[in-house]
Amino acid sequence: MDKNFEEEFTHIIKFQPPLYKQRHQFVKDLVEKYKPKKVADLGCADCSLLWMLKFCSCIEVLAGLDICANVMKENMHTLSPLPVDYLQPSERSLTVTLHHGSVAQKDPCMLGFDLVTCIELIEHLEESELKKFPEVVFGFMAPSIVVISTPNSEFNPLFQRVMLYRHPDHKFEWSQAQFQSWALETARCYNYSVEFTGVGHPPTGMEKVGFCTQIGVFVRKHAQTGESVQSEKPTEAVYKTVFKAVYPSLKDEKYLQNAVISEVIFTAQIIKHRFMSKHKEYSDDPERKSKCQPSMDCFSDYLGKLVVVKSMEPFVSGNEVYIPLATIFSFPKVNRLCGTFEKLRKLIAGKVTLSSDGSAVMLNIEHENEEN
Amino acid sequence: TTGSQVSSGLQDLSLRDRGGRRRDFHDLGVNTRQAMVHVQESKTGFSGKRIKLSTNHFRLTSRPQWALYQYHVGYSPELEARRLRSALLFQHQDTIGRTHAFDGSILFLPKKLDSKAWHSNAGFVTELLSRTRNGEDVKITVTLTNELPPTSPTCLQFYNIIFRRLLKMLNLQQIGRNYYNPSDPVSIPNHRLMVWLGFSSSILQYEENIMLCADVSHKVLRGETVLDTMHSLHSQVGEERFRDACAKELIGLIVLTKYNNRTYRIDDIDWDNNPKGTFRKSDGSEMTFVEYYKKQYNIEISDWLQPVLISQMKRKRGENIQGSVALIPELCSLTGLTDKMRSDFNMMKDLAIHTRLAPEQRQRELGRLLSYIQKDDNVQKELRNWGLSFDYKSVSFTGRVVQGEKIFQSGTMFDYNPQFADWTKETRSLPLIRAVPMDSWLLLYTRRNQDVANALLQSLFKVTPAMGIHVSRPSMIEVDDRTEAYLRVLQQRITPDTNIVVCILSSSRKDKYDAIKKYLCTDCPIPSQCVLARTLSKPQTIMTVATKIALQMNCKMGGELWSVEIPLKQVMIVGIDCYHDTVSGRQSIAGFVASLNQTMTRWFSRCVVQSRGQELVDGIKACLQTALRNWSKWNKCLPSRIFVYRDGVGDGQLNTLVNYEVPQFLDCLKSIGNDYSPRLTVIVVKKRVGARFFAETGGGLKNPPPGTVIDTVVTRPEWYDFFVVSQTVKNGCVAPTHYNVIYDTSQLKPDHVQRLTYKLCHMYYNWSGIIRVPAPCQYAHKLAFLVGQSIHREPNLMLSDRLYYL
Repeated sequence: MDKNFEEEFTHIIKFQPPLYKQRHQFVKDLVEKYKPKKVADLGCADCSLLWMLKFCSCIEVLAGLDICANVMKENMHTLSPLPVDYLQPSERSLTVTLHHGSVAQKDPCMLGFDLVTCIELIEHLEESELKKFPEVVFGFMAPSIVVISTPNSEFNPLFQRVMLYRHPDHKFEWSQAQFQSWALETARCYNYSVEFTGVGHPPTGMEKVGFCTQIGVFVRKHAQTGESVQSEKPTEAVYKTVFKAVYPSLKDEKYLQNAVISEVIFTAQIIKHRFMSKHKEYSDDPERKSKCQPSMDCFSDYLGKLVVVKSMEPFVSGNEVYIPLATIFSFPKVNRLCGTFEKLRKLIAGKVTLSSDGSAVMLNIEHENEEN
Repeated sequence: TTGSQVSSGLQDLSLRDRGGRRRDFHDLGVNTRQAMVHVQESKTGFSGKRIKLSTNHFRLTSRPQWALYQYHVGYSPELEARRLRSALLFQHQDTIGRTHAFDGSILFLPKKLDSKAWHSNAGFVTELLSRTRNGEDVKITVTLTNELPPTSPTCLQFYNIIFRRLLKMLNLQQIGRNYYNPSDPVSIPNHRLMVWLGFSSSILQYEENIMLCADVSHKVLRGETVLDTMHSLHSQVGEERFRDACAKELIGLIVLTKYNNRTYRIDDIDWDNNPKGTFRKSDGSEMTFVEYYKKQYNIEISDWLQPVLISQMKRKRGENIQGSVALIPELCSLTGLTDKMRSDFNMMKDLAIHTRLAPEQRQRELGRLLSYIQKDDNVQKELRNWGLSFDYKSVSFTGRVVQGEKIFQSGTMFDYNPQFADWTKETRSLPLIRAVPMDSWLLLYTRRNQDVANALLQSLFKVTPAMGIHVSRPSMIEVDDRTEAYLRVLQQRITPDTNIVVCILSSSRKDKYDAIKKYLCTDCPIPSQCVLARTLSKPQTIMTVATKIALQMNCKMGGELWSVEIPLKQVMIVGIDCYHDTVSGRQSIAGFVASLNQTMTRWFSRCVVQSRGQELVDGIKACLQTALRNWSKWNKCLPSRIFVYRDGVGDGQLNTLVNYEVPQFLDCLKSIGNDYSPRLTVIVVKKRVGARFFAETGGGLKNPPPGTVIDTVVTRPEWYDFFVVSQTVKNGCVAPTHYNVIYDTSQLKPDHVQRLTYKLCHMYYNWSGIIRVPAPCQYAHKLAFLVGQSIHREPNLMLSDRLYYL
């Protein structure tokens, strides 16, 4: 939860990588394994775990909750999309939201999550809050998986300094037995199974004391049956949203359309460039030039047109080069973006200049004269 | 100690703000006016017609008795970790308050802490007690070290940091120095470009007020990765020239990465490395790039054979730590335009539609930014907490439009419409001041351009008699379209009598042009004129083109076109500009141009070529010496006044100029002779400024007319500076040029310096109109550019009395 203090006592017992990183890695591994789409981090503090999770490609919704708005605000901008995210929108959608509020209170914005993480959180809770906590997280939010980590007090004697708790704000620190009995009771009550593990191995010979950080992974026993539990839930929002970022995504029609138009025109330019440089070899000879260009008459001719539609080859008419859409669609990037030819037509309609029958992209020849 | 502490503290602050280095871009604290007694009282001019102007400056208003309190924060026992220091301090938020800026040792607050204790040697001290999680008690001593008035340089820097915070709160994206709005981009798919609209901002102490100068800024971004660009280069140039082409196209460009919010400059490409290569992490362990990006950012690098880009880290926290970062092309996106793109007329035209905003449009966009600020609750709260606010209406004031200059040409004087700042029509078919005959000259062309060559010749015969230029038949030489063929002909056919060489080139291939220019500027110093065949191919424009070429060639051979009235006698005007070659060898070139005669129609030109790390000024000193020698040869005496217009000075370099370059000029003058002490004026010319001015006419906003001078309100109190709008623009907003007189013993009135400056903007012979900077600056620019782009060493001094580089 608080990196500073952790760092400080790695002086005495050094964890490599630092303990907080190990906890984050643990969560990341869990995400890799279960591929949750919606993840909430309760007690997200400086957002460092969320920042790491935003790079996990399975996640589409990320939420953070903390009782202290200031500490979230310090680093929340690291959760904003980067310029490159706008330049090359990703295939997945991602929304990151930060809420200011207490884990002892229910808010509907926390419903529907697949994974809820509570890393070094519960030991900061007052007794009254801790009492409400299971009902809020397991009863109300009821995600498929809950991860709870907390200090293991049995490890504390290994730190040389005399102190009650590892952090002045800790309200308690539990032994393995204490944590496990709380966890098992909670799991039983809300129909979850729980497994215990941890990070921060004890020194050899002291294995008995257990991990420095103890972790419980709770898995909901059966798939949620509809909205049964949620029916009696209060719908009033009590959290305050302090940050929200919607990442540009190709799932959003606006970005998809931009990407497709841009790719179509770019591809058309490439084809034109290739075609024109081939074309140029002939064009020095004026007679051949006229031969390889379908004349206006020919084009308006029905037969001529039919030939054109079938053909995948670009052609010149008047001042324009015609690049068949089918050719453009055969380029992997365009193909991947649109999926179907119909979708391609729909997306570029009205945005790209097409031939009268809509089968080809029209580009002006004039643009070509720059090179040589 | 406080002084140095203040700035180092702020550097750290800005580090947190951005994670980069920060120079003092605004040249704060360089107070040059105080040394110039004659402008102590007033630095304003008086001549001309008054004009109502508005600008893009906005007054900063703060609560009465606003001050920033600076504290030093000490810990006992000492603590190293900045995070820990900050965490312990802010356990006392009740005392410190929510509004603060803290870098680990220096704390800025908008309020004065209730101090219990006064220490005779430390001032007001507040002591706080915190406890670490180890149960250790730490005593924190917060000592008031400074009470900063709103106008102190530290405070100004501080305002800028706060303002940047606000822009960040508005979810604008920082790229380089400015902030951009990513959510509403303009896409130009033809060129794979994207344009983001954004804002540049700076808060400074101006003549009477602290003001925010905000301007619309456009960022050109490219929807492709560096790897994409490499692929398309490969398909364009082929294997053989591939690496060269990549270096030319990519080095010097700024890239954004996929995983963090930083920009990097590409300084090199490491072809021997690839993503499977390893690097050493800060903890000493080694890792491959592939592993690192997978582990750290969950990014899979798909192409394992791509090379690695190298970016040099400049400075880190004021110390000189040289290091480099390796970047993976696939994960980098390009920003900005390459020189190649800039020379693509169609692309620039397509871009201009979006980036050239007319005055009204520009002010409207700016209004949008201010309304974001005004409407956002969080932003307003932050401003309130610091006790700051802005006047959301831009400042208006009165400027002056000085009288238009009369143009003299060969005994005749004529007027032109000052609104257009152009006398192309008026001077057409008038005899030149000095026409140099073309008695012996060469015309080189390739076989396919034979017709074009003849057309050019016929047109020259038609247009030159009216100008008074005598043109004989040239030696017409057909050459193969190869660089060596051109060079061979030049070697064989140039005689001591040759006036000029004209080459018609069939393509804009740079290597051929470079080779010809290099040969004719160094080994065989003869003026030369290269023309693209394409420019001559349109019959309807050939006369205009031929006229232009005739004038240009005449200047290259030492001819003179027109003049304006220069009332000062025995003056030498100097123009200096720099060109930094970022691609090959990182040379810097300073062009140095000095007038030779009273009418400012002849110029002495030299340049300084120097590699990285050398000081430019040593070379400039030598230039000044030879310029003085030449002036005295022409005028049989030494000049009694010298004006130096110094262009090419970067933001934040003013101090160096004042403390190093000006003394060198003075030294140089002293070395000429004991009894020689001319009056010297050094003026820094800046084209890239944030200020924009708009003429308020008939309820609308227009560009101010040429000759508009601004020397109040938006100038700086510690400088003897002024703005001149000298040129006109067809599209968009006209950019004023900023002139900062940093040294002046001329005793001239500001009005006269302003007028002289404006007059010199009429004297650039490659444009029959008024330009943005004094002619010698533009000449110096042209020279430096030619040398930097094509010649790469100092041209032959035989050419130095002619404008051979036009």
